[in-house]
Amino acid sequence: MKKLIKRLLVACLGLSAVLGGGGDLLPAMVEAHGERATEPYIRTRTVHWYDMTWSKDSIAVNDTYTIKGKFRLFSDWPDAAARPELLYVSAYGPGAVLTRVESRLNGLPAQQSFRGGELGRDYEFEITMKGRVPGRWHVHTIVQVEGAGAIVGPGKWIEVTGSASDYKQSLETMTGNKIDDLQTYKVADAQRYHLFLGAFALAWLLWWLRRPLIIPRWLAIQKGRSDLLVRPIDDKVAAAMVGVMLLITVVGYHNATQAYPYTVPLRGGWTKIPTQPLPEEKVRVDLTHAEYDVPGRSLRMRANITNTLDKPVRIGEFMTAELRFINKALPAAVANVTPGYPQELLPGQGLKVDNDLLAPGETRSVYIEATDAVWEVERLVSFLSDVDSRIGGLVFFWDEKGERYVSELHGPIVPVIKGHGTHMSM
Amino acid sequence: MTENDREVLRVAGLSGDTARWSRTFDYLIIVVAAFLVLAVTYINFLLLAGDWDFFTDFKDRQYWVVIYPIVQIMMAAAFQAVFWTLFRLPFGATASAFLFGLGVWLVRYHSWMGMAHFPLTLVVPGTFMVGAMILDGILTVSRAWLVTGLFGGTLFGITFYASNWIVFAPYFQPVENMGQLSSLADVIGYVFPRAGTPEYIRIIERGTLRTFSDSSTWVSVFFSCFICIFMYMLWWLIGAFACKAASVPTGDRFKLLFGMKPAEATK
Repeated sequence: MKKLIKRLLVACLGLSAVLGGGGDLLPAMVEAHGERATEPYIRTRTVHWYDMTWSKDSIAVNDTYTIKGKFRLFSDWPDAAARPELLYVSAYGPGAVLTRVESRLNGLPAQQSFRGGELGRDYEFEITMKGRVPGRWHVHTIVQVEGAGAIVGPGKWIEVTGSASDYKQSLETMTGNKIDDLQTYKVADAQRYHLFLGAFALAWLLWWLRRPLIIPRWLAIQKGRSDLLVRPIDDKVAAAMVGVMLLITVVGYHNATQAYPYTVPLRGGWTKIPTQPLPEEKVRVDLTHAEYDVPGRSLRMRANITNTLDKPVRIGEFMTAELRFINKALPAAVANVTPGYPQELLPGQGLKVDNDLLAPGETRSVYIEATDAVWEVERLVSFLSDVDSRIGGLVFFWDEKGERYVSELHGPIVPVIKGHGTHMSM
Repeated sequence: MTENDREVLRVAGLSGDTARWSRTFDYLIIVVAAFLVLAVTYINFLLLAGDWDFFTDFKDRQYWVVIYPIVQIMMAAAFQAVFWTLFRLPFGATASAFLFGLGVWLVRYHSWMGMAHFPLTLVVPGTFMVGAMILDGILTVSRAWLVTGLFGGTLFGITFYASNWIVFAPYFQPVENMGQLSSLADVIGYVFPRAGTPEYIRIIERGTLRTFSDSSTWVSVFFSCFICIFMYMLWWLIGAFACKAASVPTGDRFKLLFGMKPAEATK
């Protein structure tokens, strides 16, 4: 017997070491939001985020940081996703580890959803978040589109230090009530009330459960003696219980309305996004051919580009699915990458372009190549299996003075599989 | 044990050891039935009412007030029918509400707060214990499900809103947020973000009921009462029907499938 107990003990210790110490058999803490699982046609052709800045990489509990940027509702929005008629802008971590202090879209408060998103437009947003739960959290900006779902922007790690117990969110109502902590306000009252009602309910259950129950009562009914099962005293207790419940409700409701005479309904309205006239594209990009080399992990495109400006421009960046392919030969494009931008979204090989200096008024065919393993890592290659097999993204041009021009690029794409295909090159 | 208890045992033909074993059986059934009642009530609630009671900022004057009681009276009525028809025990509704309350608080602590980091202010649940005890009380006194459906169903709908306003009134105080008028519940929902729940997903305050202005809550309440009456009757009948299932009819093919001897072979 002792041997058996010892063996069981050792087995238990071994199991706990494997599960707890090694940790390999237990699921790891979720650190991201499945953004790579989103279909490529959503990530490359719906919302493009740019000019993103994060004010801090690390904050203490109760400290805030701000995410700013723009997003473009892409003109070549896929038919498979609902149009952005109704959208909501926010930033999320894994659960409410950070809280939202303020959010604005084109300068308007973004507590509610917005109506009337227009394709081809840029929207400016600003979101301020506050540290709540210590940890290292991957936080994304998100545009949620009714019918299409969540379309995430670039994710950035933020370190929250300190203790969760120090977190406080206080505010004052318009009636002058001071709320010390929004996390716990009136929760204890709710629990006391539920316990109070629960005590009555339990007493009622025990009133019946203490008696002979299942078999005796069933047999009594079968023998036609159900009159024995509910006694006159039960009627009185039941009537009293109904009376007490009605009394609690009436008195409680009266007291609540007296204590809070000014209440407002939930906010159910939405806001129309204020917009300026749609800006004209100064540099037009017409994609003539695009292919994705599957074994080479390379996106190769040829486009007719028209420069309508009175000054020459060069291609500095191609951006799609938050990946920024930078033309490292153009200093203005390199300088445009803010130091805090997530490195995993900046492919090391950058962007290759062939003879991209476009004179004023010139229209010319330009070769563009974005080669990197990131296409596989970000699970973007399955755009080849989409029903419409199209690619989309933003192309950034710079003139000599460092002024930037943003254009859209979109069109069909074909795969190059195992050496077959067109094999475009410079 | 009271005189009445002894009389019940005598009528049932149980005495001595048989009565004691019967009591042990009671305890086993109580435990199993409690899990069953909790699970069925909770799953029904999740499927049909869900979000309207998960979050404080979903508890509006229209849909929460209408949908929650209509959904919760279903299982309350069904369990009442089962316990009353088979055992003359008028506690089906109370058991459903009480056990649901235990389950819902457990989930709010474990899942919503523990795993998703939501504060309890965002996920305070509603309760239908008041309405459930009224249903059981009326059934006990009237001993008639039609009377219980008519009066109990009405009171179930009315008391749901009134008895929950005691808890939720503070969350509807006016607050200014970014220069806009909001309820405190809206602000709580805004401050503590939910990744999968954008603001527009809330089906709240839609339609033309708002034209009733401050009275729209009570219009919803009375509509809820009306539906609760019929919902109670429907689910009582479903519960009563479930009591009639004495055994599952099986044929020779079924018996063969499960390795039993078919009727022909046993002749």
